[in-house]
Amino acid sequence: MGFSSIEFLLCFLPLFLLLYGVTPRYMKNAVLLVGSMVFYAFGEPEYLWLLVVSVPVNYFLGLHLARGARLKGKNKRQKKKKLEYERKILLAVAIAGNIGVLAVFKSGIGSGRLPLGISYYTFRILSYLIDVYQGEETKETSLLRLATYITMFPQLLSGPIARYGEVREELYEREFSAKNIQAGLKLFTVGLVFKVLLADRLGLLWREVQVTGFESISTPLAWIAAVAYSMKLYFDFYGYSLMAVGLGQMLGFSLPSNFNDPYMASSVRTFYRRWHMTLGRWFSRYVYIPLGGNRKGEWRTLFNLLCVWLLTALWHGSTLNFLIWGLMLWALIVLERQLGRLGAEKLVSRGVLRALPHLYLWFVIPVSWMCFAITDLSQLGIYLGRMFGVVEGIRVSAGDWAKALTNYGALFAAGAIACTPVLGKLFRKFKDSLPGMFLLILLFWLCVWRLQVEGQNPFMYLNF
Amino acid sequence: MIFWAAAGIVYLAAVDDWQVYAKPLEQVKIWYEGVKQEFRQADSVRAEEGMPWADVSGADVVAVSGSEGMTVSGSEGMTVSGTEEILAPETDGTTLPENGGIVPSDGEGMAAPDAGGTVVSTGDVLPTDGMGPAGGEGAAGLPEIPEADGGVVYHTVEDDYFADAVFIGDSRTVGMLEYGGLEETADFYASTGLTVYKMFSSEIVAVEGQRKKISVEQALSQNSYAKIYLMIGINEMGTGTVESFVEAYQEAVDHLLELQPDAILYIQGIIKVTTERSEQGDYINNEGIEARNEALSRLADNERIFYLDVNPEICDETGGMEPSYTFDGVHLKAQYIDIWKTYLKEHAIIKDGQSVDCEPAD
Repeated sequence: MGFSSIEFLLCFLPLFLLLYGVTPRYMKNAVLLVGSMVFYAFGEPEYLWLLVVSVPVNYFLGLHLARGARLKGKNKRQKKKKLEYERKILLAVAIAGNIGVLAVFKSGIGSGRLPLGISYYTFRILSYLIDVYQGEETKETSLLRLATYITMFPQLLSGPIARYGEVREELYEREFSAKNIQAGLKLFTVGLVFKVLLADRLGLLWREVQVTGFESISTPLAWIAAVAYSMKLYFDFYGYSLMAVGLGQMLGFSLPSNFNDPYMASSVRTFYRRWHMTLGRWFSRYVYIPLGGNRKGEWRTLFNLLCVWLLTALWHGSTLNFLIWGLMLWALIVLERQLGRLGAEKLVSRGVLRALPHLYLWFVIPVSWMCFAITDLSQLGIYLGRMFGVVEGIRVSAGDWAKALTNYGALFAAGAIACTPVLGKLFRKFKDSLPGMFLLILLFWLCVWRLQVEGQNPFMYLNF
Repeated sequence: MIFWAAAGIVYLAAVDDWQVYAKPLEQVKIWYEGVKQEFRQADSVRAEEGMPWADVSGADVVAVSGSEGMTVSGSEGMTVSGTEEILAPETDGTTLPENGGIVPSDGEGMAAPDAGGTVVSTGDVLPTDGMGPAGGEGAAGLPEIPEADGGVVYHTVEDDYFADAVFIGDSRTVGMLEYGGLEETADFYASTGLTVYKMFSSEIVAVEGQRKKISVEQALSQNSYAKIYLMIGINEMGTGTVESFVEAYQEAVDHLLELQPDAILYIQGIIKVTTERSEQGDYINNEGIEARNEALSRLADNERIFYLDVNPEICDETGGMEPSYTFDGVHLKAQYIDIWKTYLKEHAIIKDGQSVDCEPAD
């Protein structure tokens, strides 16, 4: 049960909010936990047990990792050393255990299917454990609160990966109010619109191209479809993140935002500071900086970046295409760093030249997303070959790209506008005005109607 | 003697690849059962069958002969690689070997149609009384029997054959329109999601210089065609039964022929989906498609209505569409539409009086 499904929108969410609303303050965490379990069980009844086991185990690990030094008597120093040693071992075991479970499922050794949300809740758990170990965070003594943090349904399946510290206070005390619900619902609606009216529609073009076969698309269409996929991915994920933040707000949490107009960035480096920010932040905090970040010289920095990108690629999937994707981005970032050291940034900071970095980004990012999207390497080769006109087309329909532009032109235009900060500005300005709210309500029901029409199937699989 | 037999068995067991026999054996079995069943039902036709095995790599020759003034004898030449010639009806001394298009629907797979098996004929459609209708009833799931027994003569033609043709259908036909290379030649009344129930009322036909599209009914009343290719039926699988579907299909066929009195109609068997897609668990499955195709094949009278089934050309040994031919398990990728088109070109009916600007296939 995703957020953009009729069951969630019209059954789960209203019922849950009602129940959550009438629950006394001290019971709210319990209701949220049970609600999240129900939510999870709808989508993934098979692997609910994994979550149910994982949370208490990590709760106890957290308690042990936080074992402070209340040391008495003789041999204080030795005891402390011993304790430190034990904690270190325990942390290593905890990380290895959590990553191990994730890796087993990622590599397909298990059932071949990834339990829903495991990549995300594993990362939340790890961030909590490491923070507790480093003393950044005090341990959570209540299993209920920790379980609520890890499994709360707004962020359970796809993030954002909030750190424990960001929601700690709200786990104790949060405001559940009509004002919050309204504000959250508005944000949620925007996310829903992105997902249902933009991502799912743009996804159709990408699907059409797949059904046609990459051998048989013209070079312009290959680019158009790559752009369509880039937008689809963004609005899908951004929409989901907005919905998550909106839901969180309804419940009284302020979850971190995940995107900051990434396609407006002017380099791959900045792009990934604005795309899936909570993941980038995670890798930066728990991998890049512990490795030394950029403080140990250029070569070491490049190596650290390589580690981050290899891990990021692995996190997304274990097939080779993700490795290509990660390495490509790493190489581009290395290139940008070197150009930056040569002072290239100053060169393109004036006049018309300012457009250059953007054009460069809009050129490389769709290519990188194709490496991300196409898991079969030979198919990937064909697609890139078609993009650059080096692979001969088979049975290419001459005007296919013009047709795609006619059918999807309006969507592309809407998507392009939604990629700029304009929409966010408009939203902030008008969201509390009467016409603005009216429009949002209208859009909400338009989405519900679309979902109803298309059934559970955004791609209309069942209509040939 | 025993020694040689034992040595043979050891050789076969150890060295040979047994799997290559599975397909031909299966085909022979299906064919054999079909023939048996057919003869059991049509008791006016006495039959004797024989299946003398040739050698492991060679042909199985099956002779069928009936009484009642009409002699039908078939020979099934089958090699391990899967090329064959099935059931050539022998009438008045004209031998009409059929080509690979009439193999059992789950056989053949990717094997290319036997080039040598294409039709040699006088160019005439043979009389179809006799065993034609009986054949269809006899063999459940065996669309090849009526064709074979009907003695339809198919020609191989060029693209211009389709100049006076219209293709009507769902997204599969849209694929033919977009990637078959016939968009300039033939007319296409095709739309994704088209069903036999709404076929005539759907406003899907674009008219030049007019923004609003007209319905198939209107288009068929305004234009005249010599050939109609119908490929429809997968969207209907979620509703009704095979019977209700075929009933609606029959009505559609009648109405088509009414609107186009001079046309011949090709009923195309619904293209199957991949076995993986079939096992996905919704209503789209190959068993359902086979049941419908079997029923559709019986609508053919082999005079004005002909049944064509491209499935043997595009299916693998599991009986579903070859997975590498498709992304979604349902639609042929653009580059493989040609298989379908070639199949249609090799299964063209040329009526009396029509100029034959194509050589009869050899």
